[in-house]
Amino acid sequence: MNLTIFVLALFDGIAYAALVFIVALGLTLIFGVMRILNVAHGSLYAIGAYATVSLTGAFLAMGFAPVFAFPLMLVSAILVGVLLGGPIEWLLLRRIYDKPEVLQLLVTFAVFMILEDVQRLAWGSQPYFQAAALQALGNVTLFGVTYTVYQLILLPAVALTLLLGLRFFLRRTVIGKLILATTEDREAAQSIGIDADKVFLLTFIVGAALAGLGGALASPTTSILPGMGADMIVLSFAVVATAGLGQIEGAALTALLIGLGRSFAVYVWPETAVLVPYLIMVLVLLVRPEGLFGSPAARKI
Amino acid sequence: MSAPLLETRNLEIRFGGVIAANDVSLTIESGRNLAIIGPNGAGKTTFLNICTGWLKPTRGQVLFEGKDITPLPPRKIVRRGVARAFQIPQLFTEHTALENLLIAVAAREGLRNPVRDLHTIPERAEMMHLLEMVNCADVADRTVVELSEGQRKLVDIAVALALRPRLLLMDEPTSGVASSQKHRIMEILVEALAQAQVTSVFVEHDMGIVEKYADEVAVWNAGNVQLRGTPAEVLEHPDVIRDVIGEVA
Repeated sequence: MNLTIFVLALFDGIAYAALVFIVALGLTLIFGVMRILNVAHGSLYAIGAYATVSLTGAFLAMGFAPVFAFPLMLVSAILVGVLLGGPIEWLLLRRIYDKPEVLQLLVTFAVFMILEDVQRLAWGSQPYFQAAALQALGNVTLFGVTYTVYQLILLPAVALTLLLGLRFFLRRTVIGKLILATTEDREAAQSIGIDADKVFLLTFIVGAALAGLGGALASPTTSILPGMGADMIVLSFAVVATAGLGQIEGAALTALLIGLGRSFAVYVWPETAVLVPYLIMVLVLLVRPEGLFGSPAARKI
Repeated sequence: MSAPLLETRNLEIRFGGVIAANDVSLTIESGRNLAIIGPNGAGKTTFLNICTGWLKPTRGQVLFEGKDITPLPPRKIVRRGVARAFQIPQLFTEHTALENLLIAVAAREGLRNPVRDLHTIPERAEMMHLLEMVNCADVADRTVVELSEGQRKLVDIAVALALRPRLLLMDEPTSGVASSQKHRIMEILVEALAQAQVTSVFVEHDMGIVEKYADEVAVWNAGNVQLRGTPAEVLEHPDVIRDVIGEVA
């Protein structure tokens, strides 16, 4: 492998890991706090991408500059969190917290199926592509390789900011501590007056918005088409399970591991590229069933 | 005449065939420490659970300062001013003693300023003072897992006081603590309650504690109050000696 290929694989891996991590962060936050594995997370990711493409297209048609694509990504993420995440928690999940995990999985899987069809109804099955944001930031040449600033700098910077921001939010702020307290002992939280229902709703909205943000950020780099949500939920689950469910910092490292593993496979042994993330997951879980950073009775988040 | 601090009217609750509260009507006046004694299974903890909203009675009402709180969820009853300390302290074990109090204040105040640093909230000094009141200021920065059982009990009481209740319901405040420590803990507790002007109701099995620290005693039997009076009156009553003290001894 020559240096150019190596650097290219490295950049691809970092950019991909950043995207997967942002989605996985929402998944692991929801699981850590609410103990629910949200299969519909993949659909929220896809809808975040579709919403960004539609909004950006509409604003560009009105004559706005391409740089407006960035605030629209944030708007799409918030819309996904509030308009979809909010009702899903409030109308469905709230009723099944004390039900068996199999039922919880089935319910979120049903939501996933419904949202997949909603996407087809709203956006059809033809692919969308909208690279205004990617082009707005231009390219950079490093180690002889020319790469987009968007993928090489912006995506990892957003991922890192979210990781540090969420860490600070949970460990230091008042609301973060109330979330951690509710995670640790829901009854004790209620007995000191914490509204656990509100904490769960807020957590789910934030988690769903992270899925939407992942989709929004992915939209300039890929074709938006049906089925992208299914690919992403499987991949982000691989990241979360490899790290240990509920492990935020761990998910960042396993996202990098899986992202790099996949991108190097693309250049070295392309036939296995799709398989590599799951191979990593299977190998890790064979040795450590609780994940790289989880422990059987570990803190949940 | 002003309403009593807490009043229950004809409370009834059944678990299967067992009646755990059988037409319980009782009033609790402000400023007095009421001990609840009685044999196991008499419905003492059930009574506390109904008053704090953790159990809903099949019949009857709970009034706090004259207002019906029966249908409210526990968190709303806490905010009205009725706090609860459980037999096993319900502390957040991964946080420090002080953080447990700060979390309680944050919960009490609602989301007034949700993204500020927990350690910078204005009530921090007040919470340190509460920890001093329960003799735990020196362990303020230790996580709960590092505390002794006695310290956990006291921090748990401090958390309850952080909620600024007017009534505190406690389930065996000295259980699980070495007997040599029980009186020390009760002295700190009663002193802290007096300073904070909080009325208390506590379930207790140790008659020595009841005699020394309660202003009044209610004897529970078969889901209802069998007898009520001063510690001297109640503890020398032949029925109590036969049904309660005899069993404990």
